[in-house]
Amino acid sequence: MKKLYGNKAVITTLILPGILVFMFAIFLPICMSVYYGFTEYSGMGTAKFIGLDNYKEILHDGAFGKSLFNSLLLALGFIFIQHPLAIITAAVLDKLEGKAESFFRCVLFLPNVISVAVIAYLWKFIYNPDFGLLNNILHAFGQKESVNFFSTENAIWAVLVVLVWHGFGWGMLIYYTGIKNIDPVLYEAAAIDGSNTFQTFFKITLPLMKPVIQINVTMAIISALKQMETVYLLTGGGPGNSTQFAANYLYQQAFKAFKYGYGNALGVIFIVICLISTVLLNTIFRKKKEA
Amino acid sequence: MGSKIAGKKHSPAGKIIVWVVLSIMAVIQIFPLVWLVDFSLASSNEMFTSGLLVMPKKIQWGNYAKAFVDGHFLLYLKNSIIINGLAVLLVLIISIMAAFAVHRMRWKLSGFVKTLLLLGMMIPIHATLLPNYKLYNTLNITDTCWALLIPYVAFSLPQALYLMTGFLDSVPIELEEAAVMDGCGIYRIVFQVVIPLLKPSIATVSIMTFLNNWNEFMMARTYLSSPKWKTLPFSVLEFTGQYSSNYAVQFAVMALTAAPAVIVYIILNKHITKGVAMGAVKG
Repeated sequence: MKKLYGNKAVITTLILPGILVFMFAIFLPICMSVYYGFTEYSGMGTAKFIGLDNYKEILHDGAFGKSLFNSLLLALGFIFIQHPLAIITAAVLDKLEGKAESFFRCVLFLPNVISVAVIAYLWKFIYNPDFGLLNNILHAFGQKESVNFFSTENAIWAVLVVLVWHGFGWGMLIYYTGIKNIDPVLYEAAAIDGSNTFQTFFKITLPLMKPVIQINVTMAIISALKQMETVYLLTGGGPGNSTQFAANYLYQQAFKAFKYGYGNALGVIFIVICLISTVLLNTIFRKKKEA
Repeated sequence: MGSKIAGKKHSPAGKIIVWVVLSIMAVIQIFPLVWLVDFSLASSNEMFTSGLLVMPKKIQWGNYAKAFVDGHFLLYLKNSIIINGLAVLLVLIISIMAAFAVHRMRWKLSGFVKTLLLLGMMIPIHATLLPNYKLYNTLNITDTCWALLIPYVAFSLPQALYLMTGFLDSVPIELEEAAVMDGCGIYRIVFQVVIPLLKPSIATVSIMTFLNNWNEFMMARTYLSSPKWKTLPFSVLEFTGQYSSNYAVQFAVMALTAAPAVIVYIILNKHITKGVAMGAVKG
């Protein structure tokens, strides 16, 4: 038995495909990014080695700073708007059973299975000043002029609304599963002690959901950092970088501004930020759990 | 589950609150999609109304016919199915083999290799768009299905591996021991003993992989140029330029592109919900 499970040749053949895919699709590209990050390179011709110049430039790059700030805004939007709504909805959905329950669960999650490509263009139309749904709703409430949702001041909020809306069902579903896993005996005990719905929610449901909330908050912050596709299609980061996000910005630098070297340097910093944030969040929450 | 527990007792007021909250959230989530379908059946002129929805004088099925043909719907749907199907299959095989290797087999570096492979979960996909474009160009595989298949598999693998190692814990080692007694080799144990026992987890991993990659378009947009392997989101991406003033047809192409995923979701609703919940809580 031991001999069989320690057979080096067998181990190699089992693990090799996984390692090869990882090396080729993740590790090698990162190494290439590190290399091109030290160069000035348009994408064609030859790359010129310029040392740390790209990284010095990033320190003074306002657009990149704006990207990180927007990620922070989005993370706050997820944590303070999307998630509270998702928890409340999940708790309420838990009171239903049978057909009604599966109907609402299905409807609330539906936007999540639809491609960002469709969602982004759909919301472009919803924000449209001429026939858009949102302006029509505002008109119904007496607003005369059409609102330009993609102006420099409004655009970031327009983007946040779409992202909070689109990801709602995912968060809701995970909270719902968490609530379903709570031992019903606890609710029974609370009811015998005369606890009302609100007390039960705040004293039993929420504290027991803590691990689920921590996982969800971590994922929300990371996905706010990694945001690209919706912004890419909805605003392209504009007007004037007001809705810029890191991934979209480095893509534009490489393929539109033809600063491929600089784009890669941004990519390296971006990867480092994502790694540090993930590790940091995990340690914070793990410490709390042990305390 | 059967009998209602005391903590969930329904007062009439409580019942009303439950329905009001859920109805509001459901309308917010679903109304934009209703609006999309409604406008896709109208003519472009009818859209400029002050009402929230339009009652089309005549239902414009022609919008869908145009969307179907000019959006290359069938070709892109076929490409999506082939690429995603292959990606799911490869992710399953590679992740089960790797999970068995790092979790059951005994070797010094197993912990290190597992951590290394899981590290992929933290890497932002979009940071690899730049170097991978260059890499695939050098290798001459841009505009082939490999340019999508390789990164799709690579970025679904860490989560799949994580889930599979978790599920492997629930496979009783005694079964494997019995198989060894019967003279089975490792490969036969993996493919004939372990895989059948992992069925529920295979479903979860398949659903997660499919959901993650089905709607992906940044890599596709970066690595592909000809229509040969383009995937379903391209029906929408390419259409907006082509029919920039014919809004109704654009609505139709959006509804049509969303349809396959929505239909599959409604049919497999229970499994998908379970898969997502399991995948997310464990991932």
